[in-house]
Amino acid sequence: MTTRRGFLATLAAASSWPALSWADAGSPAYLAAAKEPDGGYALFGLSASGKDRFRIPLPARGHAATAHPTAPEAVAFARRPGTFALVIDCFSGLVIQQLDAPRGRHFYGHGAFVNGGDTLCTTENDIETGEGRIGLWSRSKGYARIGEIASGGIGPHDIKALPGNALVIANGGILTHPDSGREKLNIETMRPNLTYLDAEGAIAEQVALDPALHRNSLRHLALGPDGLVACAFQWEGDSAETPPLLALHRRGEALRAVEAPLADRAAMQNYAGSIAIGGSARHVAITSPRGGRVQVYDLNGRLTHTVNRADVCGIGPGASGFVATDGLGGILAIEGEAATPLNHCARAWDNHLIAI
Amino acid sequence: MRLAALLLFLAAPALADTEAVIAEHILPGHAAFAARTQALADAAQADCSPAALDAPYQHAFDSWLGISHLRLGPAEEAGRYQAIAFWPDPRGLTEKTLRRLIADRDPVATDGHYADVSVAARGLFALDHMLHDAGFAGYAKDGYECRLVQAITADLAALAATLDSQWRDRFAETLRTAGQPGNATYLAPREVTQVLFTQLTTALEFDADQRLGLPMGTFDRPRPNRAEARRSHRPLRNVVLSLTALRQLAALLPDAAPEKTLAAFDTAIAEAARLDDPDFAGVDTPQGRFKLESLQNRIRDARAAAIAEIGPALGVSAGFNSADGD
Repeated sequence: MTTRRGFLATLAAASSWPALSWADAGSPAYLAAAKEPDGGYALFGLSASGKDRFRIPLPARGHAATAHPTAPEAVAFARRPGTFALVIDCFSGLVIQQLDAPRGRHFYGHGAFVNGGDTLCTTENDIETGEGRIGLWSRSKGYARIGEIASGGIGPHDIKALPGNALVIANGGILTHPDSGREKLNIETMRPNLTYLDAEGAIAEQVALDPALHRNSLRHLALGPDGLVACAFQWEGDSAETPPLLALHRRGEALRAVEAPLADRAAMQNYAGSIAIGGSARHVAITSPRGGRVQVYDLNGRLTHTVNRADVCGIGPGASGFVATDGLGGILAIEGEAATPLNHCARAWDNHLIAI
Repeated sequence: MRLAALLLFLAAPALADTEAVIAEHILPGHAAFAARTQALADAAQADCSPAALDAPYQHAFDSWLGISHLRLGPAEEAGRYQAIAFWPDPRGLTEKTLRRLIADRDPVATDGHYADVSVAARGLFALDHMLHDAGFAGYAKDGYECRLVQAITADLAALAATLDSQWRDRFAETLRTAGQPGNATYLAPREVTQVLFTQLTTALEFDADQRLGLPMGTFDRPRPNRAEARRSHRPLRNVVLSLTALRQLAALLPDAAPEKTLAAFDTAIAEAARLDDPDFAGVDTPQGRFKLESLQNRIRDARAAAIAEIGPALGVSAGFNSADGD
């Protein structure tokens, strides 16, 4: 954080506190949570080449984080069914706010900013009814809870902001209750969907896979060019089956499941942990920590190549391809078919690598 | 879990004995698989009849169980693992694909490009059908099916030869040079320890949940037809041979013999040996099901013992993300 001293000097001379930008926090390219050698947890800011930019301790295992679009501020979510999220000033490294889920709600682990970064949207469970909710929080009012809207399904997991303050939500379909931890309560009847909400919170469009695949939990999202939404799945059905784990969608069209070749499907162990669109916006990748691989597809859904790496899960856009993180502490650049280590850390990177 | 998390990093225990695992487990296992699949392919050239091929087929399959838990390196590239062992197959794709090849008299079986065929019709499970399913096995010695079996066995031998040479010429070195510049597969020696340990625990899970769990199905709906290689009467044999191979791996991984783990393996193997149900067909009856459940529990005991004993000795635990699920 070489900019910090210079910034403080500037600050001393300034009469008012200037608006901070991500550059003041060392211009990290990514956020990622990790378990550290002492068993504790932290959120890291990483440069494009995988070097540490900052480290902020977390009180428990994290899941994902969401970065404010302009200010060096990140919201780190506890692993579900967590009831807190931390707003972190990535310049000072301080937790500036703790968001507590309202009574009767818990977080699912993802969030997104809309309204130019003033409204934070969080995926939540209405514990009483099991219906998915999107909690709304106002940054300018000190992250006050200002309302909530229906997510359009059960078990909303990932959420992304779209142009015009719209949202797209992965309703994973799995009902859980904090009394039974992470136990899945509705596998027989689950019905995941992809829901688009307009700026007023009304359902603008809702799509799902073929009913025969109703046990395919739609959990993570990545936004591509021209309104493309790429979806990653986790199969909760018969373990002997090998259903598609990637689907592509554009508004007004059907949700199209991508059929990988037979052997490649089996190799993913029915589990995609994360998804990203590549830096050049020409490819989409899904990861499987269980299968120890990253599969890269073109945007028409053709599998172009595979990278094998044990316990790989986090993935984000790289220079033109991808950057992946894993539970062994590795950070790998995937450019073309080549995987090159960028860094190797004595920590276990958690599920997601979030691009800033 | 908290304790395991601490152990993962705090202690700095010995690394796995990678060299012993390579020299005494991985390389001989692959050499045996290559030799036996070649013997099977040679036998098929001489006499393609199911009767003549049963013994070399069973030998080849036996040797696969010596390495089928090694889901790293050459077997995980180019779809080779599934091409050798396409299972489970709940939709019967192996049968459907073979039927289509035979109905079409597809020239792919005889033109030397069998590797282009769907993985569902390649490898050991294609042979399980061709040699042991009444719907296929009655073929004539001069017919299409005969040449198909010759092609499947030759393709299998080629796959096994590739695995064997790739391990000897390349991937053993990849394990040995973990953490050195240019090794993008393993960024530190400890990663190899972690990965080898994961092979052990994941394979035990596969034995319990898939090899036993699939035919067990649910109490209301047992699925004996889902047993692995049931046509060639291998379901129990595969479990016993897998446990035997995994016991060897468990013994080689840590410096000191993991006595509790090996004892748990011995209990599971002895219980399997006493089981008078080679095809797991008894899962249809409460008594038969009870016996399979008991064996499943013994296998889970062995896995728990390995995690409790070998994990801390090597300073590793099950995969951070792969065990998480979110």
